[in-house]
Amino acid sequence: MKITIIQQRSKCIGCNYCVEQAPERWRMSKKDGKSVLIGAIEKKGFWSVKVPVAEKEMNENAAKVCPVNIIQVR
Amino acid sequence: MNKVELMSPAGNFESLIAAIQGGCDSVYFGVEQLNMRARATMNFLIDDLPAIAEICQQHNIRSYLTLNTIVYDHDLALMKNIINAAKSAGITAVIASDQAVISYASAQNMEVHISTQLNITNIETIKFYAHFADTMVLSRELSLRQIKSICSAVKKEEIKGPSGKLVEIEVFAHGALCMAVSGKCYLSLHTQNASANRGACIQNCRRSYTVIDNEDGHQLEIDNEYIMSPKDLCTIDFLDELIDTGITVLKLEGRGKSADYVKNVTQCYREAIDSYYDGTYTSEKVANWMQRLSEVYNRGFWGGYYLGKELGEWTNASGSKATSRKIYIGKGNHYFARSGVAEFLIESYSINVGDKVAIIGPTTGVIETVITSLHVNEEGAKNTAKKGDYCAFPVTTPIRKSDKLYKIVDIAEVVK
Repeated sequence: MKITIIQQRSKCIGCNYCVEQAPERWRMSKKDGKSVLIGAIEKKGFWSVKVPVAEKEMNENAAKVCPVNIIQVR
Repeated sequence: MNKVELMSPAGNFESLIAAIQGGCDSVYFGVEQLNMRARATMNFLIDDLPAIAEICQQHNIRSYLTLNTIVYDHDLALMKNIINAAKSAGITAVIASDQAVISYASAQNMEVHISTQLNITNIETIKFYAHFADTMVLSRELSLRQIKSICSAVKKEEIKGPSGKLVEIEVFAHGALCMAVSGKCYLSLHTQNASANRGACIQNCRRSYTVIDNEDGHQLEIDNEYIMSPKDLCTIDFLDELIDTGITVLKLEGRGKSADYVKNVTQCYREAIDSYYDGTYTSEKVANWMQRLSEVYNRGFWGGYYLGKELGEWTNASGSKATSRKIYIGKGNHYFARSGVAEFLIESYSINVGDKVAIIGPTTGVIETVITSLHVNEEGAKNTAKKGDYCAFPVTTPIRKSDKLYKIVDIAEVVK
């Protein structure tokens, strides 16, 4: 079982909350100050990655705390 | 005598041009996410800096970049990139609050302004920041008397910035006020994780609230449910007193507001400042400006904390109390330069001869006009143009395909 995590990266304001919730899947870019969805590939501005279902909860938490609602888990 | 500088907000290219059309002396704007309007989708990008600088230089106005959020370690490289890009593009100064930003900009010999986010309320703080900055924005919570005392002390003690000139003292003249001390608010962070101090405020203070006694469940009767939403600041009716304090820069709030708002408010304050200096600042003029200011977005007006009287006047509405509204009609199609006629495609509603309209676009800025005659499709002169029609009417300056056409209607008509 896998889940997909999607991030609309251009709208990220670099608050760091996703990294606090799911540090294995997210990190802050030192280049542009926005968060990076580790392992994701980009298509039309949306970054997505398929991950084991074990990561579901922590990434749902990341989606929940994101102040600009740019993270989706499905 | 040097006039005070009028600084307008520019949230996008439309507003930048509108501010220039309104007669500002300078503009301030943010790029990327490190500014207090990070949530706004219309923020400029680093790549826009050369174009912004060029437009400002062409019109002989100064350009200030806001870089005034709190800054984390992961933001440092972006912060430095933004300052480097601003410097090479020829942006006049950076408005900063975090010491990392102040220190880096100052080391790059970039002019620094101290943001209102640092809440300067006394002369010793001015002296401290004068080591780095040439302009200081005072806290919005000071009274005219306190501002005057600070301005006098700057002159008396000859407090100079890195440029060698006396530091400039800047205050907010018009626009939204915050229930917290100049933006230092955690309400939005508590409820939505959206930190106002990272420019992500969701403005939940602007909503209505009910107060409940948790011990017995009684709802407390309060005379106004908008208990945390202050009215907007307006100083145009005592602008003479505000200028007399000795401040040198007047700032208008509104990087999140529309281009027609920016043009209207800038125009009113431009006229008011000019009237002050040529001795024609009269109550008749004030009444006219107040009426024009109330046409665009506002939560009702009060004089902020400047007059030192009552603390806090709260609005009684969730949104704007503007007396006019703009309705989207259609988009620009062609400009017939020889005949001075603009053609638009109507995408919603209809327009009539006699309607007041606004044409807004990134190059055009804001043009306001009244339709004197209408040419519809191939049918010739008509009184009304409807959805789907191509219509043309006289406009003195060129319009573009990137322009949008709005009808300006009285709010009473919209409600009807």
